[in-house]
Amino acid sequence: MIHRFKMFHWIDVLFPMETSNVLLHRLLIVLLVFVMHAGNAQTPTDAEMMPTGDICFFLGYDYGSFDEYWEGSKLRTNATIATVERKTIMPVIAFGIFKNANLYVGVPHVSTRSTEPNGGKFAGAEGFQDLGVSLKYQALRKKMSGGELMLLTSIGYSTPASNYLADYMPYSLGLGAPEFFLRGIIQHKWNNNLYVRTSAAHIWRGYAETERDYYYSNGARYSNYMDVPNAWSFEGVIGFKAFENALRLELIYTGQRSTSGDDIRAYYAPKPTNKVNFDRWGVFAQYYFKNIEGLGVIAYHNRVFDGLNAGKINNTGVGVSYQFNFKKTSHVQ
Amino acid sequence: MYNNIMNNKLLVFSIFTMILLVMSCEKDIPHYMDFDSYSYASADENGGDWTPILTGGTITIDVPSAPNSSEYLSELAEMKAAMQQATNEQKKAIEYWTNNPIVRWNEIAVELISKYNLIPGPNADGTYTLPNPSNPNGPPAFPFAHPPYAIRALAYLSVAQYDGLILAWDFKYAYNRLAPYHNDNTIKFAYPSNNIPSYPSDGAVIASASRRILSAMFPLEVEYLQQKEAEHLESLFLSGGNVQSDIEAGKLIGNEIATRALSRASTDGMSKAQTPKPVSDSIKAAAFERFGWQWTNQENPVRPVGLTPLYGKVRMWNVDNVEDVRPGPPPAIGSPEYLEDVRILKDYAANVTSERRRVANFWEDGLSSFTPPGHWNRITKEYIVAYELNPLRSARTFAYLNMAIMDAGISCWDTKYHYHYPRPIEMIPGFKTILGTPNFPAYTSGHSTFSAAAAEVLSYIFPQESNQVWKWAEEAASSRLYGGIHWTFDAEVGLAQGKAVAEYAVNKAKLDGAD
Repeated sequence: MIHRFKMFHWIDVLFPMETSNVLLHRLLIVLLVFVMHAGNAQTPTDAEMMPTGDICFFLGYDYGSFDEYWEGSKLRTNATIATVERKTIMPVIAFGIFKNANLYVGVPHVSTRSTEPNGGKFAGAEGFQDLGVSLKYQALRKKMSGGELMLLTSIGYSTPASNYLADYMPYSLGLGAPEFFLRGIIQHKWNNNLYVRTSAAHIWRGYAETERDYYYSNGARYSNYMDVPNAWSFEGVIGFKAFENALRLELIYTGQRSTSGDDIRAYYAPKPTNKVNFDRWGVFAQYYFKNIEGLGVIAYHNRVFDGLNAGKINNTGVGVSYQFNFKKTSHVQ
Repeated sequence: MYNNIMNNKLLVFSIFTMILLVMSCEKDIPHYMDFDSYSYASADENGGDWTPILTGGTITIDVPSAPNSSEYLSELAEMKAAMQQATNEQKKAIEYWTNNPIVRWNEIAVELISKYNLIPGPNADGTYTLPNPSNPNGPPAFPFAHPPYAIRALAYLSVAQYDGLILAWDFKYAYNRLAPYHNDNTIKFAYPSNNIPSYPSDGAVIASASRRILSAMFPLEVEYLQQKEAEHLESLFLSGGNVQSDIEAGKLIGNEIATRALSRASTDGMSKAQTPKPVSDSIKAAAFERFGWQWTNQENPVRPVGLTPLYGKVRMWNVDNVEDVRPGPPPAIGSPEYLEDVRILKDYAANVTSERRRVANFWEDGLSSFTPPGHWNRITKEYIVAYELNPLRSARTFAYLNMAIMDAGISCWDTKYHYHYPRPIEMIPGFKTILGTPNFPAYTSGHSTFSAAAAEVLSYIFPQESNQVWKWAEEAASSRLYGGIHWTFDAEVGLAQGKAVAEYAVNKAKLDGAD
């Protein structure tokens, strides 16, 4: 919340809304409204909150790739598919809908392919992945001697936004199943602007529809539905804010543990039924410009360092966010 | 403020609704076909006169004890006592096995096919190790249950079941010992009653023959198959359908017939189908010299030998000479017909409609799947249940189906390695596919050939379904074009080839006494 009040500070004090700025605002909105990423500008996983009436447009680009993957627990390569690349454009809109509650809506656009040359000659896939809606609620914010404690919770739901085929791994755009998650977040921030955050989530995943009506998953399966395993997701973060909160830096560990599922079969493609675990570290940076109110940029890099039935993926992303208060803008107009 | 509270309530309500929706979707994904036991459409009293497939010496079983003998009465008493003590697990097993266990053993075979249908990957040094029957644990495990292997396993399974049941029917009506529940009306049969004599037990013939054949085809599954056989035999006993002497006689027949079938299998040429590299290279060079084209594996590292280059030399069931059913050559590379095909395939690749994608994936039946022969066995199983065939007719249906598909496969492989025609990804620059390109030459399409053979036999057994099965066969053939891994002439010629090969099986079936 401190961060949020600082935002107000910039908007209201340093850069009071002027008519000349409205055009710039509109231009930026038009640019940003089309696109976004699960970057961490303000996401269901962090502790950043927006004030009621604020709206934030985020547009991110992510590039991920892998040429090694864990087949069960064995790290291996498959030279026939070369390096598998995944590019994501992620538009997100966040709203400060109620006091202490933010709503996020986003739908990533994903494209996948193997690098050339490759012997598999598989066509990549491209399209909108899953439409996600989530809500983050700040349950507690308590000033303490030397710092501040925050407790937050977020819930979310996502479902495929196109008819992409989940059973086309490793090129499929997503898992193809509806998901529901519930996350708890704790953050402690010291007065010296250093903070630690940890969060844990349970993800309930439904069934992915396939285009065949028989498959093998620890035995014969007579169905065109695949059970996508539920999972636990964990995050541990050490972060620092500087320059009056304009800059935020984080070192992040992320882990996922599926609660069921089968292994990738020998030299065979992964399936939505796989038990996917991974451990990943990453770095994240966010910066809000002081001379263009509400404009922020982010950049991050993640590396999966251990896994089960997962790609050893490195991914890098950049994004731009623009935040303003809808009511105030209306008022000025 | 009031609005906010209302919105909050609405939100909480929506969230709970979503949770409930997610939870209520939880359901079990079935491991086998769910169907109820049924009254057989016919008893086929003359089934013992039908012509068996395999040849061999006479098989005899003991004359059964009479229904009023003390020996038989004590068998009945033993059975009734066991039935009264049946556990819930045993009752579930009775329900699972049904009164048409041909369906279940076919399912077990298909399941093992998909379990073992994994192509060996490269070693760290870029070489490939082939599955080896003398070291089945591998790695890689034996077998690689690819389509030629799969259909051969299914054919021997079905033929052994069929021949065993012909013999069982012969003895049943010769000795005419009725089922226990007809001899003692206090016994409640677990399945719909029938008047087929129960000595020897047809279920036991199926259980023992199937266990033996599948154990030979899947040597790492010997223990699992023994458990399945034991559970099946126990279910026959606890169902009230067979006393122990019925079962023992059935086991004897099943084992004898399996020995006969496996003896044929051991000399049918399959062990030589996967050739060493020099043989494979000479086959390829011969085609290049003759036609000016050749198929080459595109994987990294390159797989040195295609899949079973000499499967075309495996002994056929109903065709004397594989060259009698070999189609003419495909269009020359660069010819107008070839160029038109390039155009069509590029068009499919550029326009992956949701319907074409569905068709390509539905019939893919690639690695880790039950293969195209398994797919057609699954379709056949459903017709068998829908038409309420008895086990003897079910076995006959599968035997002719699987012999025809295997012959079609042999003919197809003969064609593939004779012409050694390249795949689209080798010939069309920048071409991309939505299915994996298999490790063998293109012409003719295995899917098309297998599927037409299946449709031809199913049209004979279930004439009312002819339109439907041919529609499916044509769809299976087209699926390879939509997937980008076959030429249109691979599919068209493959369909004609499969039909022509299957006609041999159908002509033989028409004379076997069952019609």
